[in-house]
Amino acid sequence: MTKKVTFTLDGKALEAREGQTVLEAATDAGIMIPHYCWHRSLGNPGNCRMCLVEVEGTPKPQVSCRLPAREGLVVKSLSPAAKRAQTSALELHLVDHPLDCPVCDQSGECGLQDYYMGIGRYVSVLREDKAHAKKRQVLGPHIVLDQERCILCTRCTRFVAQISKSHELGIFGRGHNEAVDLVPGRTLDNPYSGNLADICPVGALTDRDFRFQVRVWYLDETESICPGCSRGCPISAHTSTQRPWHNKGRRLARLKPRVLDWLCDEGRYGFSDFDSDRLGRLTAPLSEVRSALQTHRDDLAVVASGSLSNEDWKAFKSLFVDKLKVKRFLFTPEPDQVGSEDELLRRREKVPNLEGGRALGFGTEIKSLTWESLGQDIAGGRVRSLYVVDRDPAKVLGEKLLHKLELLIYQGPRMGKTGGLARYRLPATDWLEENGHFTNFQGKIQEYRQALKPLGDARPDWKIFADLEAGL
Amino acid sequence: MNPLSQKSRPDPILTKDFDEPRLQELETYRRLGGYEGLKKALASGREKLMAEIGKSNLRGLGGAGFATAMKWSTVPSEEKNPGPRFVVVNCDESEPGCFKDRVLVTKNPHQLIEGLLIAAYAIDARHAFIFIRGEYEVQYKILEKALAEAKAAGLLGACSIELMRGAGAYISGLDTALLETMEGKKAWPRQPPPFPTVAGLMGRPTVVNNVETLSMLPHIVENGGDWFAKLGTPKSGGTVLFSVSGHVEKPGVYEFPMGVPLREILAAAGGVKGGKKLKAVIPGGVSTPVLTADELDTVMDFEGPRAKGSFLGAGGVIVLDETTDMVMVAHNIERFLTHESCGQCTPCRQGSFWHERILARGLEGGGTAQDLATLERVGENITGKVICALGDTVGVVTRALMKKFPEDFKAKFHD
Amino acid sequence: MSAFTPEQVKVLEAWTKEYPYPVMGLIEALRQVQDWHRCVTDADEEYLAKLFSLPRTRIHEVATFFPAFTQRPTGRHRIGVCQGLSCSLAGAEHACRCLEKKLGVRAGETTPDGRFSFERMECLGACDQGPALIVNDELKGAATEELIEKLTEELR
Repeated sequence: MTKKVTFTLDGKALEAREGQTVLEAATDAGIMIPHYCWHRSLGNPGNCRMCLVEVEGTPKPQVSCRLPAREGLVVKSLSPAAKRAQTSALELHLVDHPLDCPVCDQSGECGLQDYYMGIGRYVSVLREDKAHAKKRQVLGPHIVLDQERCILCTRCTRFVAQISKSHELGIFGRGHNEAVDLVPGRTLDNPYSGNLADICPVGALTDRDFRFQVRVWYLDETESICPGCSRGCPISAHTSTQRPWHNKGRRLARLKPRVLDWLCDEGRYGFSDFDSDRLGRLTAPLSEVRSALQTHRDDLAVVASGSLSNEDWKAFKSLFVDKLKVKRFLFTPEPDQVGSEDELLRRREKVPNLEGGRALGFGTEIKSLTWESLGQDIAGGRVRSLYVVDRDPAKVLGEKLLHKLELLIYQGPRMGKTGGLARYRLPATDWLEENGHFTNFQGKIQEYRQALKPLGDARPDWKIFADLEAGL
Repeated sequence: MNPLSQKSRPDPILTKDFDEPRLQELETYRRLGGYEGLKKALASGREKLMAEIGKSNLRGLGGAGFATAMKWSTVPSEEKNPGPRFVVVNCDESEPGCFKDRVLVTKNPHQLIEGLLIAAYAIDARHAFIFIRGEYEVQYKILEKALAEAKAAGLLGACSIELMRGAGAYISGLDTALLETMEGKKAWPRQPPPFPTVAGLMGRPTVVNNVETLSMLPHIVENGGDWFAKLGTPKSGGTVLFSVSGHVEKPGVYEFPMGVPLREILAAAGGVKGGKKLKAVIPGGVSTPVLTADELDTVMDFEGPRAKGSFLGAGGVIVLDETTDMVMVAHNIERFLTHESCGQCTPCRQGSFWHERILARGLEGGGTAQDLATLERVGENITGKVICALGDTVGVVTRALMKKFPEDFKAKFHD
Repeated sequence: MSAFTPEQVKVLEAWTKEYPYPVMGLIEALRQVQDWHRCVTDADEEYLAKLFSLPRTRIHEVATFFPAFTQRPTGRHRIGVCQGLSCSLAGAEHACRCLEKKLGVRAGETTPDGRFSFERMECLGACDQGPALIVNDELKGAATEELIEKLTEELR
């Protein structure tokens, strides 16, 4: 057990672990002391000088990010002296900062704006021309840099040094001539580059995908789980529906990490086409689908997706195993759903919930075909009908082979190649349009919530399965 | 006349043999009693040596004035922290007005090496380094030669001394930034704790001492701590070197006992150049606030200038005559600090540049009365809120100049 | 391909062994490269990064932080005139104008023949000899018109 100490912040007794900094302890207690450079996972270089506080018995203000809490310490972050120290630090941060908030993506979630409105509100006496530096510098596939907006808090350089360990960025030069920049010849293309837009407390590093699309105050936020791989990172889905003409009409504006500090680029940028290629109308009554299924139950194979929720898996099992007694299943991810992994977050399995299926026996007791054996079964006529859930066998096996099938049913949110070949298309909701649970590779069951209305006739997969079963 | 000749004044220590030809050579240095202090220190043992240095009231002469024995005593013992420990000589003298280290090394390199070996013995360091600014190429070569001589004569004992050059940054002269430079990093100061004596070079206990401080050691060991303490004032022992420049007849390095009135230093340097009237004196390098002609009785030890709102600093006395425009002086100093700001913390990086721009505009005729209030306010918002001593300096001298010479500023900043 | 001759490689490798920790040789190695190439190029930085087993970022940070290192070639002789307060009082501005006239370049520039580059420098620790003039880290004394004349004639 770590020893606990009690100190006083602005007249309030707070508990902290021994050695914990005042800033961190205050943050844990939900008290905001202004800061830029400190980040829980990136350390406390103490260079922004925003978190200055008054400490009883100490003549000079202290940076609370480097002030260890100790028993009996009396700290004031709201006293006139502390406020003045913070305001003056803010004023100096803003000396050369451009006044381009109206065209800056950070507007609305910018540390400079927030603190100016919170503790600043001074009248500017600046008469000098602002210093100029490189603008609109594309650093890599996802991030663009505006050096003039940068306050040199070093969060980004610490991220590429400590977290991604890719070292693309540094602070070069010295004094007021220094600037964050790429190492000559490098590109900011590490698998976690998108996090830089999140950790930048100002508008220096912004997201190319999000750039000029929506003002953040028009966004809605929903707690979700990233479906990009079997890690199941908690995320916030930021959606734009208030002004449909924004964000090129796309409803999903961006994804942000939640609970954890980071999100990989694959997850963050993997779903920007959420609204494209969607199935619209149900093309035939369910009763017709039902009777087709019954006719073909002996030569039927089912291809199911690892993006089904736990609720979906249950209804899936009930329909195909218990009711229809199907023998042939395929759960193996498509070849392009297996990718690279690392020690930080990314997992090889690029679907979120095969684990939920495994818990019900799919892929364990109920064996999975391989893509190759399914191909052979179709070619050999052993499989004459196929029920595909949110997968694209046409892409893997080729359209020609699928033409041999007597029945192809496709259920999923997007058309894909296979959807185009199917006799029946059952539009399903995608993860942002439904409530559900995913089980991640560690067996952790996590809830994701509906952020958007289903498009067209789309319904949750479990509901489709249940409705089919009910009529059989 | 050699301005360095101190024969007319009592008790010069560091400069006493400066008129001796070939003092740079080991043979000469030893003939005059050199390396006897080291011999005595080694014979007396560590505890006795520390006690003598403690008694001497020797304080760090690089500007901070921290008691030397106190600094050494914070090095953890071998049992507490086993492994190497280091002594580093700070010879990165770069502050406008200061050039005593250059002269000390040029004239008497062995005095420094002897002092360094004594310090290394005191804290049981087997590795010592002399970090010298890159622009002192001549002095680098002098030290290289002296070290080779000392080594050949077996004087280094178990201690190795290596030279390392800086690369042109004033901030490297700040102890923690110096250590960063030595570690092959940009010279961004660290924020103690831990202090270098606990975790310094490569995380190991390290004592960083100035050239002048270390050069004093052989003399203290030879003549005793009490002798040294008595030369100075109650809190600052011994003598101190003043680098005198600016509007004086004989710029140069002058050694005086601690506590000498500023007036005497000015007199030793031949007074104001060309018989002009004195306007002001910067007492300790451009990081120290200015003293007026009326403050010449200021006693020059670590306490004296403090009473007048200034500092002894590194003894860089810059004399300003009646023709000097104080706005130009302020601009020159803030431009220097802007150029030398490492850029790590915002108030220094932005504040120095803001100062420079306002003062430059004033010099060009674009100043307003509002600017003076801005300088005053912004300066106060920087001092005491930054990472290091350089940042603490931004605006300090400008504010003192504005206070003491308001008419100069009003002439350039008015509506 | 390395931008260094086998002899130069040996010199640089020696800097990794000069001090108790290899990284401590970095500044000296950079000084050496600057001396040979009159600048530190991208290729030089890449080489040193490998030699010292450090990220290239670190090398570039150091090479752009310290004024001794340049990214573009300087002249064979780097003439610097001190701008410190004492040297300013002693006529640094006049000395700079003399040099500019003599060399035909402004501060921060290099003569077309690559012989000289001229820099305004911060305190050189020679306030007693102001305005101090330095050539390639060696103090030459007060920048009088005679000294400027002499140096620009003598140095090839």
